[in-house]
Amino acid sequence: MGGAEVLLTAAQARAQGVPLRMLTPEEARTLEAVGETLALGARQAGIAHFVDQQLALPPGYALLTIRISEVRPPYVDFYRAALGGIDRASQTLLGRKYVDLTDAEQRDFVTRLRQNKIESWQGPSQSFVYGTLRNDAIDVAYGTVEGFARLGVPYMAHILPERSW
Amino acid sequence: MAAFEKADAVIVGAGAAGAVFAAVLARAGKNVVVLEQGPDWQLSDLISSDIWARRLRGSGPAILYEGRHPVGRTADHGWGTGGAALHYSANFPRLLPSDFNMKSEHGRGLDWPISYADVAPYYDRVAREIGVSGDAKAEERWRPPGEPYPMPPLKTFRHGEVWVPGFASVGITVAPGAVGVNSMEYQGRAACIHDGWCGAGCPTGALANPQATYLGEARVKGAEVRPMSYVTRVLTNTQGTRATGVEYFDSKKERQVQEASLVVLAAFASQNPRLLFNSATDKHPNGLANASGLLGKYVMAHAGAGVSAIFDEDLQNYLGSFGYQFVSYDRHSKTSRKTAFGSTFWNTGAAQKPTDVRGIANVRPDLFGKELDEFLKGKARGLARITAICEALPKIENRIELTSEKDEFGFPLVCINHTFDQDAVGLWSAALDEGVEIAKGAGAKEIWPGRGGIAPQHLLGGTIMGTSASNSVVNSYGQTHELVNLYVAGCGIFPTESSANPTFTLNALSLRGAEQLATNWNSIAS
Repeated sequence: MGGAEVLLTAAQARAQGVPLRMLTPEEARTLEAVGETLALGARQAGIAHFVDQQLALPPGYALLTIRISEVRPPYVDFYRAALGGIDRASQTLLGRKYVDLTDAEQRDFVTRLRQNKIESWQGPSQSFVYGTLRNDAIDVAYGTVEGFARLGVPYMAHILPERSW
Repeated sequence: MAAFEKADAVIVGAGAAGAVFAAVLARAGKNVVVLEQGPDWQLSDLISSDIWARRLRGSGPAILYEGRHPVGRTADHGWGTGGAALHYSANFPRLLPSDFNMKSEHGRGLDWPISYADVAPYYDRVAREIGVSGDAKAEERWRPPGEPYPMPPLKTFRHGEVWVPGFASVGITVAPGAVGVNSMEYQGRAACIHDGWCGAGCPTGALANPQATYLGEARVKGAEVRPMSYVTRVLTNTQGTRATGVEYFDSKKERQVQEASLVVLAAFASQNPRLLFNSATDKHPNGLANASGLLGKYVMAHAGAGVSAIFDEDLQNYLGSFGYQFVSYDRHSKTSRKTAFGSTFWNTGAAQKPTDVRGIANVRPDLFGKELDEFLKGKARGLARITAICEALPKIENRIELTSEKDEFGFPLVCINHTFDQDAVGLWSAALDEGVEIAKGAGAKEIWPGRGGIAPQHLLGGTIMGTSASNSVVNSYGQTHELVNLYVAGCGIFPTESSANPTFTLNALSLRGAEQLATNWNSIAS
């Protein structure tokens, strides 16, 4: 920031409004909304900044679960297709983008996504989109030292992860 | 292009198999260069985090997939020094005598060109050299006697112990599982403290990863490890009779050549065939070591059957190691199931973290939002899992082959075409049925057999061993039949897969092959 390197957690990056490098603001809003539906706390934990930061890295150093899938880099293509697909389908089905749906509508949408039951869907496999975004949301909400603490699971690190990504 | 001195041996891949060859040849005083496509991970890089641990896997050249059961690059894949063994479970079951004679005994599958007795001394050697904890006497109900393991079994925990009465209820006896994890300080390496972070790599040295064992030894004895070196071809002399070295691209994407008297291909099981195919010449138009036409054929994977269950107690399932606590070969007989042919290996007791693809959250992939939160904060404390590894027979139609798609340097990528046959599916289904009964017998309150789809585990075959160039790619030492100074190492050389996790056998075969090579160096490499 301002020519100086500043290490922030994804949550801090979100709170401070750090500019995104790969995702558009609209894509980030959709990712935050879907992430929050999938794992409580994912929005506040900075899912959009986490994914955005990882997509900016060379694929071999990205920390996203998508790297252990059959999807080939650049991974931003998958996220762009997935998030765009969600908003298009939401618009077709309910006349609004995903972020503008009610909580109940969002839950229903995600349930259908998981079951590959959105007939108007255009994009990567629906259930794969569900699983991948769910893993990202779980990572930021529960996969950190703070996340383990929320679950009451002792972290017991040999080498503690840095808090920033 | 930099000018490198000719090496005695160049080894492609710094995973478990390459590390064994590097250590043995370095012990013999050979000048060894190990080329690794990924980074050179140090123990200090092994951060206790499933998120950070993703750096250790799932990168490198793209692989295409076909077939009904694609063998993806999940936990069984590594990127960087140590390979998959940098972050593995270190489950060290061995094959049993019947695994080597399937064709002779049953008219199914293939025979190995060697017997259990040929490999058994190397199991014992590997156990001593890298440290294995287990109870050999307890295992001898299933296998011939051998040496005791150098360390007693690991401490057990409730999430493993809770299953023992369930296994007994269906007539299955279990024994402590042999693991490459220190139950006590061993050869200067620390004892395990049971924090369950093996899957993120173990920086203490308690886990027998290559950095702490053979690769570390190889470095001490002078082997050079050259990371970020992406090998594209094996080079051969004009007569096509000998390997002369390898071509690779370095971290700056500049082409390099490492000449050597001997070449060992110890990359991922899908990449060794790729290198051999891509090294075709006018003398070997179908790829090196492919006179049989079997290069890339007989690819195998295990059919993993997992049953999760909830018990009425806090099982502290985050404690222990990433490996198992208890195992059973009681269903290992190829004819133990009425409805399907092949062996099944039961195990239980791996520690589970909340997240990551194999974590607790993915035991119930249907849950999200509030329900997921409640599950993780509540019931998940009583969660435990058993796993059956089911054998699949070698099928020639399961194969690795080149595609028209190319990598950034213009070399064709491979496609893995894999489909489980009816026997493998039958074993998987029978294991899930039996797993439910085991869970009931153990007193589980809720039971979830993983019927969502077969999870292929472990990639084997593709460069199988045999008796001649007409029926195989390599001999029992991993030496190609056609080029005397070209070896292939790893579980790609297995002609059948058993139902046991492959790394102990991979280590034993590599030690056997490397020592044969060192002993006969002058006739092979000079």
